[in-house]
Amino acid sequence: MLPLTLLRTAQNHPMLVELKNGETYNGHLVSCDNWMNINLREVICTSRDGDKFWKMPECYIRGSTIKYLRIPDEVIDMVKEETVVKARSRTDMKGRGGGQRNRGGGQSKTLDSDGDCLTVG
Amino acid sequence: MMANFPPGTATLLEEIDKKLMVVLRDGRTLIGYLRSIDQFANLVLHRTIERIHVGKEYGDIPHGVLIIRGENVVLLGEVAQEKEMNMPLKKVSGNEILKARKKEQEQKTDQDKRMAKALRERGLNYIPDLSHDDMF
Repeated sequence: MLPLTLLRTAQNHPMLVELKNGETYNGHLVSCDNWMNINLREVICTSRDGDKFWKMPECYIRGSTIKYLRIPDEVIDMVKEETVVKARSRTDMKGRGGGQRNRGGGQSKTLDSDGDCLTVG
Repeated sequence: MMANFPPGTATLLEEIDKKLMVVLRDGRTLIGYLRSIDQFANLVLHRTIERIHVGKEYGDIPHGVLIIRGENVVLLGEVAQEKEMNMPLKKVSGNEILKARKKEQEQKTDQDKRMAKALRERGLNYIPDLSHDDMF
């Protein structure tokens, strides 16, 4: 699990972001991208010396200004569960013969030469 | 002797799930289990602590899970468990070490002020030491 994938998993969780200049931002992660640019909501910004505070409803942080992000412990557990589920579904797929998924599941249609639908089901 | 290392951050794959010490550009020392890396050397540290040294005392501040942006890393290396046990240093609580650090910083700024004043009286311009302040 790559660091940025973990960050994506941490969406909607509270986190602390420290910038290179020492300022910290506490808030809930709304979204992030491949450049580590992030959107936070309900943010409390703390100055470098920890003596000044600002509250803001939302903020956007450019990825290149970030020093580190501190995320809750349970996010890493979510990752473990996710990888287990994924691995299991992969082995299940193998057992049933891979390529032919969707058999019997969906509807089948019969089309005439013009592509008009003749029968459904 | 040149060992055949894999290119770039791939060498870090060897360190995964080991207990590592990471030093950041701002001088902070973090110790935790390396769980993941990518091509930029962004790191995921698990069960992280920040270790602060003041004189012969040190203290740990727990930080949990950290995603560190690769740019900020100066060095990382494995922590030798048995050597960590018998260090000639005294472990104190997180609060105590923070207090000790604050005191040390206050002493330093105090000394800087007196130095600047003394030099100014002698017609010299004092340039404060910025070496501990990283300039990004």
